[in-house]
Amino acid sequence: MYTKQQKELIFLLKNDSLPYVELSILPKDILIHKSTKMSFEHYQGGKEMRKQSKIFSLLAIALAFALVVAGCGGAKPAPAEPGSSDVIKIGIFEPLTGDNAAGGQMTLEGMELANKLYPEVLGKKVELVVVDNKSDKAEAANAVSRLIDNDKVSVILGSYSSGLSMAGGQIAKDKGVPVIGCSPTNPLVTLDNDYYFRVCFIDPFQGAVMANYAINELGITKAAIIKENGSDYSVGLARFFYNAFTEAGGEIVADIDYQKGDNDFTAQLGSINSAGPEVIFAPGDFGPSALLIKQAREMGIEVPFLGGDTWEVGEFLELGGAEVEGATYSSHFTADEPATEMTQTFLDAFKAEYPEQNPNAFAALGFDTYILALDAMTRAESAEPAAIKDALAQTTDFVGATGLITLDENGDATKSAVVNQVVDGAFTFKMIIEPK
Amino acid sequence: MEYSKLKKILTISSFFLLIALIYFAPNFLNDYAIRILNLSAIYVILAVSLNLTNGFTGLFSLGHAGFMSIGAYTTALLLMTEKTKIMNFYMYDIWPPLQGITLHLIPSLLMGGTLAAIFAVVIGAPTLKLRGDYLAIATLGFGEIIRVIFTNSHSITNGALGLKGIPGVTNLWWNWGIAALVILIVKNILDSSYGFAFKAIRDDEIAAESMGINIFKYKLMSFVISAFFAGIGGGLLAVLLSTIDPIMFRFVFTYQFLMIVVIGGLGSLTGSVISGIFITIMMEVLRFVEQPMNLGPIAIPGIPGMRMVIYSLILLFVILFYQKGIMGTNEFSWKWIIKKIGLGKFIKKEAAEQ
Repeated sequence: MYTKQQKELIFLLKNDSLPYVELSILPKDILIHKSTKMSFEHYQGGKEMRKQSKIFSLLAIALAFALVVAGCGGAKPAPAEPGSSDVIKIGIFEPLTGDNAAGGQMTLEGMELANKLYPEVLGKKVELVVVDNKSDKAEAANAVSRLIDNDKVSVILGSYSSGLSMAGGQIAKDKGVPVIGCSPTNPLVTLDNDYYFRVCFIDPFQGAVMANYAINELGITKAAIIKENGSDYSVGLARFFYNAFTEAGGEIVADIDYQKGDNDFTAQLGSINSAGPEVIFAPGDFGPSALLIKQAREMGIEVPFLGGDTWEVGEFLELGGAEVEGATYSSHFTADEPATEMTQTFLDAFKAEYPEQNPNAFAALGFDTYILALDAMTRAESAEPAAIKDALAQTTDFVGATGLITLDENGDATKSAVVNQVVDGAFTFKMIIEPK
Repeated sequence: MEYSKLKKILTISSFFLLIALIYFAPNFLNDYAIRILNLSAIYVILAVSLNLTNGFTGLFSLGHAGFMSIGAYTTALLLMTEKTKIMNFYMYDIWPPLQGITLHLIPSLLMGGTLAAIFAVVIGAPTLKLRGDYLAIATLGFGEIIRVIFTNSHSITNGALGLKGIPGVTNLWWNWGIAALVILIVKNILDSSYGFAFKAIRDDEIAAESMGINIFKYKLMSFVISAFFAGIGGGLLAVLLSTIDPIMFRFVFTYQFLMIVVIGGLGSLTGSVISGIFITIMMEVLRFVEQPMNLGPIAIPGIPGMRMVIYSLILLFVILFYQKGIMGTNEFSWKWIIKKIGLGKFIKKEAAEQ
């Protein structure tokens, strides 16, 4: 089928010794890259490979397409108006993956537990719509938008982390759907947003609680602060501790920062030690805090450590070991001294549902957001977002698992704080501090 | 009909189609879908600007999140009203000159872009003499430095607490209009002698230098233009989200756009646009796999993170079978489309006649 001249060329091509040729002389079904000496077999093999890879890529595209189609199909069914169908939808946006996944998961467990105990309101079944916000602000905003526009939820619960809550809160405000926050403690979350409420106390209160505890209970006047300066939580708590402590006549002898991801705190602790404080306030994540306390003890710093609610996780004890003994922190809740009858209900249910875990404050707060949402719907006798919002704003002395909750004009909870201490390797209840 | 004439008609009609789509979008899409479209436009801007350095000039820069944060903070602080600023700065007092300033969107965005570009000159001058991995490390470090500075300058950025209540003054018109403008400008730069110089530097630095191209000048130019658009993209993102904080702009944020650029094709504007839109929409559409599903007798509980698994699988497929991304270094062309729909012969004849 090839001419003699062409056969010769193919032979040369096979032996990789093709001299300069006019490419146009070659038979049309053989293509050679102009600059490379690709042998004939090689070329043929390449063609096979390309065919195969084409099939695979077609498959990949088909898969992606199928998913897209299925996704569009899946998202379609949505009732016309919130609360008008035979189920009442409550949306949940929590960080279930990413940096804040641990906190998000614990909170979600509490919400699901509450849903199991109280599956109905206003004679209708409650359906939870859970969306993940990936610990990402853009995703958090998308998630809330999806809950409101696609799922037509009556009320939204969430989210762990204040930054995520603020991103979602703006959309809820624009759309007029109320949100109940579980543990975003930054005051900015509810400021200038009538649709955001929360069941936790805020950073100023928590900072003040620990400052008062140090002055009144420990009888101390010289304190040092060490904080993670990239975390709104840590910075906020430290600032309000500072204000409350100095106002009550105390003196802050050192105020030092560390960065997210730091593992070695000896330099900071050294300068704190030389300032001679009687107590060290170290609000921050449980990981760095446990390491920090450990290193302080190794350096021979014996003064007590105070902290915030983030310490109350099992990993804090595991990481810190014997060194975190005596660490005192403020918390939302204690399992030792049930604040209300609802606390007992929560504890019993939690132990039955998750026997391997210790009941934690985040689950309790998640639990409270759900029952508060149901309570507001019952009081409003409606599942309309606007009616729920008005009912939520009037919440007074609501009996939750984390204590009696009253929402103030900003939508922030006024409630008692618990001070806990690590004793014999366990979180132990110390005292309750009432809001002023 | 002549091909060039046909091309003109097709381009103009697709332009009007885009306008019509944006105009009619609110009629058949809900706010959620429109929000995703807004986000895709912003991601397209950011991907196109990143592609200019990483794809067209061959500079492996990872400082994009840093430039975005400069743009985002500048735009946010210039747009916010005095009242919102006072509300935000409840812990530290705001730097007095900043308090009273409130500008409109365009000057705010331009200011954000310009500041990002100025920072790009400052950072680019010493680091662009580095190559490959070293440049990547230097720019990565720069992004982190910016973030740490923002975390610590309490009286300007409100530190770790972030800003809230940035007025949401943009809409589909703004986002897609700016996206189209950015694509147009970058396309024109790439088709000019500057663009050829960028590509020459990417393909072979030494050859480019020996041809008389001032490598440093062109690298810096590409870097600064890219930073300018990154600043504008960051500003638009801040307006869309209405809240920002420094943690948002960690270096992983850059990877998100690097991924879009790589999937679309390093060195293809079309690729960045396609994958920017595709990935943003896909991540939302894929949410259904995390919802509990009822397939008749089998009920599957929702597993958070499933869409990331699918996303990774798609990424794997692209990397395995399209090593150069969806578009490689090819660009969108009407010729290709006409050929694909079977009218190729018509054009070939035309070309042969000429």
